[in-house]
Amino acid sequence: MSYLEYQQKTVPTGWRKVLHLNWALILLLAAVASVGFMMLFSVAGGSLRPWADPQIKRFIMGMGLMFFIAFVPIWFWRNMAAVAFGGSILLLLAVEFFGAVGMGAQRWIDLGFMRLQPSELTKITVVMILAAYYDWLPMEKVSRPLYVLIPAVLILLPTGLVLTQPDLGTALLLMIGGATVMFVAGVHWLYFAVVIAMGVGLIAGVFLSRGTPWQLLQDYQYRRIDTFLDPSSDPLGAGYHITQSKIALGSGGWTGRGFMQGTQSRLNFLPEKHTDFIFTTLAEEFGFIGGFSLLVLYGLIILFCLGAAIRNKDRFSSLLTVGIGMTFFLFFALNMSMVMGLAPVVGVPLPLVSYGGSAMLVLLVAFGLIQSAYVHRPRSKT
Amino acid sequence: MIRTPLRPLARILDARAKGQNPDAIERENLRVRHEQMRDQSRGRAEGRLLILGAVFLMAFGTVGARMGTLSASTPEEPRTAYTGSSILAQRADITDRNGNILATNLATHSLYAQPPFMIEKERAARKLVEIFPDLDEKRLIKDFTGKRKFLWIKKKISPEQMQQVHDLGEPGLMFGPREMRLYPNGSLAAHVLGGTSFGREGVHSAEVIGVAGVEKAFDSFLRDPANGGEPLRLSLDLTVQAATRRILYGGMKLMNAKGATSIMMDVHTGEVISVVSLPDFDPNDRPRPLTTGDQSDSPLFNRAVQGVYELGSTFKIFAVAQAMEQGLITPDTMIDTQGPLRWGKFRINDFHNYGPQLSATDVIVKSSNIGTARLAQQIGAEDQRTFLTKLGLLEPTALEMVEAPSIKPLLPPNWSELSAMTISYGHGLSASPMHLAAAYSTIVNGGYKVEPTLLAGGRPRGERVISEETSAAARDMLRQVVVRGTASFGEVEGYHVGGKTGTADKPKPNGGYYEDKVIATFASVFPAHDPRYVLIVTLDEPVETSGTEPRRTAGWTAVPVAAEIIRRTAPLLGLRPEIEPRPVYELTRVNN
Repeated sequence: MSYLEYQQKTVPTGWRKVLHLNWALILLLAAVASVGFMMLFSVAGGSLRPWADPQIKRFIMGMGLMFFIAFVPIWFWRNMAAVAFGGSILLLLAVEFFGAVGMGAQRWIDLGFMRLQPSELTKITVVMILAAYYDWLPMEKVSRPLYVLIPAVLILLPTGLVLTQPDLGTALLLMIGGATVMFVAGVHWLYFAVVIAMGVGLIAGVFLSRGTPWQLLQDYQYRRIDTFLDPSSDPLGAGYHITQSKIALGSGGWTGRGFMQGTQSRLNFLPEKHTDFIFTTLAEEFGFIGGFSLLVLYGLIILFCLGAAIRNKDRFSSLLTVGIGMTFFLFFALNMSMVMGLAPVVGVPLPLVSYGGSAMLVLLVAFGLIQSAYVHRPRSKT
Repeated sequence: MIRTPLRPLARILDARAKGQNPDAIERENLRVRHEQMRDQSRGRAEGRLLILGAVFLMAFGTVGARMGTLSASTPEEPRTAYTGSSILAQRADITDRNGNILATNLATHSLYAQPPFMIEKERAARKLVEIFPDLDEKRLIKDFTGKRKFLWIKKKISPEQMQQVHDLGEPGLMFGPREMRLYPNGSLAAHVLGGTSFGREGVHSAEVIGVAGVEKAFDSFLRDPANGGEPLRLSLDLTVQAATRRILYGGMKLMNAKGATSIMMDVHTGEVISVVSLPDFDPNDRPRPLTTGDQSDSPLFNRAVQGVYELGSTFKIFAVAQAMEQGLITPDTMIDTQGPLRWGKFRINDFHNYGPQLSATDVIVKSSNIGTARLAQQIGAEDQRTFLTKLGLLEPTALEMVEAPSIKPLLPPNWSELSAMTISYGHGLSASPMHLAAAYSTIVNGGYKVEPTLLAGGRPRGERVISEETSAAARDMLRQVVVRGTASFGEVEGYHVGGKTGTADKPKPNGGYYEDKVIATFASVFPAHDPRYVLIVTLDEPVETSGTEPRRTAGWTAVPVAAEIIRRTAPLLGLRPEIEPRPVYELTRVNN
C-alpha cells in the first residue's frame, strides 16, 4: 500500500507527534549510550576527559537531530531517498580524491568542525534508496532479473567505492544491509543462493590469489584473516588485540572486577581500548552479566525494530526499519564477534558505545528515520 | 489462474437494471483485489521477517554463548610469546680440554628509555648518573627532552644496578632481557677466545657475534642451533694456562721485558695446551684497538700468533737436522768455525771465538753462527727452502683463529746463498712463535709433520719430514744445550729439558738493528728422550740486571722463565719426574 492510498488524516500532526514517538526505543538507545559514557569514563581512568565528555555532547546533539527527523513526515524522506543516495556517492568520490588519510586508510573528509566519514552515511542511504525502490516497484515484478539488477548495482556501487578506501568492514555491512532489504522485499531466494555461492567462490579466490601480483586484499587484511584463524600464531603482533581482549573477558569472569577495576584496558594493554575494543573493558569490569545485559539491550532494540516493521503497513517504512535495524545489528554483532574471536578484526565500532563522532550521529539519524516511520505509519480508519 | 475482470459485465448490467451505481461495484472489486495483493505480499514479507528474526536469534545465541564460555575460561597468557623473536640469542659454551668453562652465557638486562613515557626527566638523568658515573648528565637530559622516542642507556647492567634504576620509579626507563657472553676466567686465554660484541639488537634480545679469536673463527658453529648446545672443546688446559700465565707474567717483570709470549704444544698431535701473550686483556671488557702507534703494542696483539720475529739461533737446529738428514754430517763431524766468515762485503761473526773447529753437536751447544752458515752453504739455498717449507715455516699456520691465516712469515725477496746462510742462524726470515713450536714438534717427535690446532683431539699424524734417527740425534743435541751449553739455566730436575736459545737483535723500523733491543727466545722440549711437549718462550726486549752489566741473551732471560714454567706445569700435565738414563760409560759397577 502506498501513501496515496491511505488516509493521511489519521496521522498525528504538530506537537502531538511527541506522544506518538516510540519512547521505548528512545529509552533503550539512551540506556545503551549511557553504558558507553560509563565505559569511556572508566577507560580514561575515572575522568570525563578526553572521551566521555565529547561523546555525551555528541549524543545530545544526535538526539536533537533524531527528534527533528522524526517530526518530518516519512514520505518526505522517501522522496529524498534518491537525493541522499546520490549525495553520499558524491561524498565517497570526494573522499577518494580529497580525503585525509588516517591509520593507513582514506576514510574522512575534514569539514572543519568534524571529520565526516561518508561511508557511515552510505550505510543509511543505501537502505533508504532500496526501500524507496521496492516501494515503487509492483510486487509481481520484484523477482524479474532486470529489476533485481537495479538494486544490485545500487548496492555494489558504494560498496566498491568503500572497498577502495580500503574499509572491508563497512563494505561488508553495506552488502549485507542491502541484501537484507532485498530479501524482506521478497526477491526470490534463488538469487541469494547464487550470490552466496559466488561469495564462497570469491573467498576462495581471495586466498588463492594471495602472494600473486593480483592479490585481492591488502597485506594487512590478509594478516588479519590469518590472525583470526589462529590468534596465538602471533600473539604480540597482529593477534595482540584478540588475545588481550580474550584475556580481558576471561579475567572478568561472571561478575567482573567492578567498575573502574579493569586491568587489561587500564594498564594500556589494549590500544584502541576506547574505540573498537571498548567491549573488553565492559566485559572485564562487569563480567558476563554486564556484557550479556548490553547484548540484551541491543536485542531489545532489534526486537522493537522488527516489531515496528511487521506492524507498519507502509512498504517503504517497513523496509527502511528492517534495513536500518539490520545495519545496527551487524554493527554490534560484528564488533562483539571480533572482540570475542568469532570474526576477523574488521574495524567496526560498537554502536552508540565506542568513541567516535560520525558513527554515533549517523546511527541517531537512522533511528530518527525509524521514529518518523513509526509516527507517520498508516493507521486503520477506525 | 482465472482472471476476474475488474468490471464484471453481468453484474454491472444487473446493477444498471436495478438502478444502482455500477461504479460502486467496480470500486468494491478494486478494493478486494488490492487487499488480496497486499495480503499476499504482506504474507511473504512477514515470512521473510520471521526468517530474519530467526537468524538474529541464532546470532544472539552464538554471541551470548561465546561470551559465556570466555567468561568461564581462566585468563591465560599465550605460551608462545617468544617465538616471534627473530634474533637467536643462544650461543654454545667454550670449554678447555677437560670441560672447564672458558666462555658461557649470562642472562642479564639492558636498560633503555622511552622519553615520551618519562615523567621527571631531569631527575631521572641525575639519578642515572649517580648509578652509572660514566654517563653524561647533560647528554641524557638532551636526549630525554628531545624528540627521541627511544634510546639505549646501557647494553648490560648488573642486578644491583637494575634494582637501583627500578627504585627510581621512572616509568619511561625500561629493561629488556639480554644474554651476554661471560668469560669467567677473566684474561686467561684472552687472545684465544677473542671476544664478542652485540650484533642486531632488539628490546627482547640481542645477537652475540664473535669479533676475534675462536669466537669469530667458530662463530657460525657456536650459533648453530643444530649442535644442540654442544660446547666447543678446545685443546687448552685451563690449569696449565693459568700457571703459565702467572709465571710468564712474573718472568716478564723480572726480566724488564715489555712483552712476552709462551706456547706449549703437544709434539704428536699439535694441540696447543697453553698459549699466553702478554700484555693481555679481559675479553669481558674488550679494549678498543689502538688508533695510533704500533698495533703490536696493544694488549689485543697476540704475540704468539700475530708477532713475526726473527727468531735467531733457535733456527740452527733446522740446518743441522737437514744436514744430518741429507747425510752430509753426523753429530760428531767436525765443522770449520774459523771466523770471521766473509761473504762479499758481509761478515758473519760468533758471539765468542770458538776456535777453528767444533763438532756438529757443539755447533748447536755453543750456538756457532759460522758453523751453521757453513752447513747452509753445503745444503744450498734451494734445498734449505724446500726443507723449511716442509716444516711449515714459510706458510701461514693452520691454527683455528681468524688472525692466523693472515700471518705469513716474512721471507727474503731473493733467496740467495747469503740469505740461506743468515736464515740458517735465524736472521732474514721472520716467523711467529707458533710456527716455531710446530717446527720444533716436527723435529723432535720422530720426524712427523705437525700443524698446530686449538681443538681438543688434535690432528692426525702428518707426513714424515725427517727420519727417526735424525730426530733422535737432534733431541740429543738439544738436551746437550741444556746440560752443558747456552741454556744451562733450563735444567729442571726429573724432566730432562732440551732446547735451543735464540737472541735476535730487533730491527729498526727504518733498517738496521738496535744494539740494545733483542727478542730472546727459548725453544724447549721435555722430556728430551721421549718428547711430549714443546714449550716456546719469547721475551720482547728483556734486560737482566742482576749482574754488573745488563744481560739480554736468551740464556739469561727466556731460559730461566721457561724452566720455571716446566717445573710448575709438568706435574699438572701428568708427567712424573724420572731419572735420566745415563750413558753407559758414566755408570760405575759397585760390588759390596
